Amino acid sequence: MTAAVRSSALARLFLVAGFAVSLCAVPANAQKKGGSITMGLELDIAGFDPLKVGVYDTAALTAAAAIFDTLTYLDDKGVVQPKLALSWSSSEDFKTWTFKLRPGVKFHDGTPFNAKAFKENFDRQKDPANKCRCAFYISFVNSVEATDELTLVYNLKDPSVNLPSLVSFASGNNSVHSPTAWKAKGDDYNRNPVGTGPFILKSWTAGDRLVLEKNPDYWDKDRVYLDRIVLKPLPDAQSRFASLQSGEADVIWDDEADADNIQKAQKDPKLTVHTYAGSGAAVAAFNTKVAPFDDVRVRQALVMALDRKKMSQALTNGLARPATNPYGDGSWVKCKDDGALPEDAEKAKALIKEYGKPVEFKMLVTATPRGRATGQVLQQFWKRVGANMEIEQVDQATIPPRAFMRQFQVTPWRIVDLADPDVQMYANFRTGSPVALANYSNPELDQLLDRARVTADQAKRAEDYCAISRLINKEAIWYWTFQNTYYAMSSAKVKGLPKMYSGIVDVSRVWLE
Amino acid sequence: MLGFVARRLLYLVPVLIAVSLLTFLIASLLPGDLAYTILGDQATPEKVAALRQEMGLDQPIWVRYFGWLGNILQGDLGRSFRTGQTVLQAVTERLPISLELMVLAQVIALAIGVPLAIICAARSGGPFDRFMTGTAFGMLSVPTFLSAILLIYLFAVELRWLPATGYVPFGEDPAKNLRFMVLPALTLALAEWPGIMRVLRSDMIATLQEDYIALAKAKGLKASRILFVHALKPSSLTLVTITGINIGRLIGGAVIVETVFALPGIGRLLVGAITTRDLIILQGVVLLVGAGFVLINFIVDMLYAMLDPRIRHGHA
Repeated sequence: MTAAVRSSALARLFLVAGFAVSLCAVPANAQKKGGSITMGLELDIAGFDPLKVGVYDTAALTAAAAIFDTLTYLDDKGVVQPKLALSWSSSEDFKTWTFKLRPGVKFHDGTPFNAKAFKENFDRQKDPANKCRCAFYISFVNSVEATDELTLVYNLKDPSVNLPSLVSFASGNNSVHSPTAWKAKGDDYNRNPVGTGPFILKSWTAGDRLVLEKNPDYWDKDRVYLDRIVLKPLPDAQSRFASLQSGEADVIWDDEADADNIQKAQKDPKLTVHTYAGSGAAVAAFNTKVAPFDDVRVRQALVMALDRKKMSQALTNGLARPATNPYGDGSWVKCKDDGALPEDAEKAKALIKEYGKPVEFKMLVTATPRGRATGQVLQQFWKRVGANMEIEQVDQATIPPRAFMRQFQVTPWRIVDLADPDVQMYANFRTGSPVALANYSNPELDQLLDRARVTADQAKRAEDYCAISRLINKEAIWYWTFQNTYYAMSSAKVKGLPKMYSGIVDVSRVWLE
Repeated sequence: MLGFVARRLLYLVPVLIAVSLLTFLIASLLPGDLAYTILGDQATPEKVAALRQEMGLDQPIWVRYFGWLGNILQGDLGRSFRTGQTVLQAVTERLPISLELMVLAQVIALAIGVPLAIICAARSGGPFDRFMTGTAFGMLSVPTFLSAILLIYLFAVELRWLPATGYVPFGEDPAKNLRFMVLPALTLALAEWPGIMRVLRSDMIATLQEDYIALAKAKGLKASRILFVHALKPSSLTLVTITGINIGRLIGGAVIVETVFALPGIGRLLVGAITTRDLIILQGVVLLVGAGFVLINFIVDMLYAMLDPRIRHGHA
């Protein structure tokens, strides 16, 4: 099987990247070496073993970006660059991808990194006996084969035009762990992670601090500047910001809910506010199989009734950026016309009137201050146009099962920042997908989705995705409220923080001025 | 005395069983099934059903309760599905921090409350007494989360005397440890001293009207000796009770204070377990805290008996 894959369909359409481009864009001596930083995170990190934690949260991602390497990374322009992989190519149908790996890389425990080690990582997650939550996110991959010491072949179930970009961030799936370490440590591996990354875990006190020290043998050590990174969970937004002001933290994670402090920091010359306008959005789906949402007029009316600017003002002091399509400013999908319905309360009223029956329904919201506030704002907008929404507060963990079983009328959802729209658009809108929440089926939409995922030409793909957006907006099966924006704040002397792709604050290559 | 202790210990058994039952019921009645939480965004009905069966969640609640209780009696409180840590590991790691916080807070609260109470009682009705009674009332009404943020703003951001957040173990650097603990302990103490002061003050005023105090005065003893030696001990019975009950309040306060000051104590463990729906950690910790509170009040009862012999002989 492996030999066949290697010799067969590999048309090697894209021999992307290569050795020369690599990480050398900035001369290494422009940055000061040494020093240590403390970063304040929102959450206590539960651990790093994908079998235990399943998915990394924002806090674990920051640590993972320093401890582990991934095959690739995205540069500041969003172009995929080599990391553990040096080059890659795909078959014509984008169902087979071959990666050439970097030679001479070792895990922190001395285990050599090679195609076999990578395959072991993949197989461990994929193995049904391990019941890893993480397996869900690699369900589009049938297998990974190590055809020789440094050649890795991905055999995909579904085609993926941008696979190298999709494996670029240090998620639970993409981080490469030392097989020796997880076998030796068993249950304790979760809190004793071993990677190939620029930093090594030195010590970890639960709930207090995780100390990382520079990896002296790192393959790219000239571009790692800090000696030490201390990660601390600072769960309270106010005291987290106070810690930044008083100098106990040099960098802190933040989000739009903390708008007051973000705006305060923007005016403070001693602080820097880092923002990344990502792709994706906060969204919601109508269940089109149940009344009143089986009528397109009702759905359109509710979308037209939204006043996203006012909503942003009410919830985030105006920081949140309104969204009119699922891609957002951070995506390479740019639409001249995304088919957004006008925000027009009068028209909405007329549509509800035309529908003729009373519009009454329930919306799921998470039982959090943010969820409740969002629900209340929507309730007011919809009341103005003659629709009565009842808020149904549920636990965060209850939303996915309710959504899967289609036990909802309107449910919130999120499209996260990923390098390619295909994964989520296909899952969310293709007929038959478990998360095609709207219960809506349209051959034209399916055809567009099928075509966009196998088209190599990015401009043509973008056209298809814009057509998809127009169709969804016209049918109003989902609506979008705000684009994803990610925040971090730091003291002004912290330099070189990269773009926060997928919301990850990666401090592994920053330096102090 | 021994018989008294034994009787009291016997009473503890039903109380502890009630605590365990309540804890289990509360954790079981929380919205959000454990299977849903573990499966997250893959909680399809089939997977949920399979996991529920595997974890025994499909069994009737009393079967699960007795199973849980049986494990506890064998010293097994369970293991977090997220971190892989056992409840006991997690608690022993974090308990010293919360205990230190509580002891410090209690010491500060007593150091503020007791002297003020004595001064106020000695000059009851005077301008200082009236002023302090009003202040105590005001302080009682300030919520902990507010005083915590105000203290951080004043001492960490403006004056920069003390750190805003963080922690260093006492064994590593005692001086640094205390620097980190001052603001959190003070925050808790600010909510506790008014109660101490008001209770002790009114008890002292009553004691000072006793005949033997009048006798002591007549004998020409110094006022300070009368206050501290003759009046304080008999007045401190209610204070001991209050201190015991305060431990319970302090555990509640620690949840907020540890979150704001980022101290890795039991309170944070609880909050984390709630937000991540780590029910095994949650019910384990609540049970241990509940049992601890019951034990502390048992000790308080014992202290009571030592302070006042009438109680242990059942004549009170």
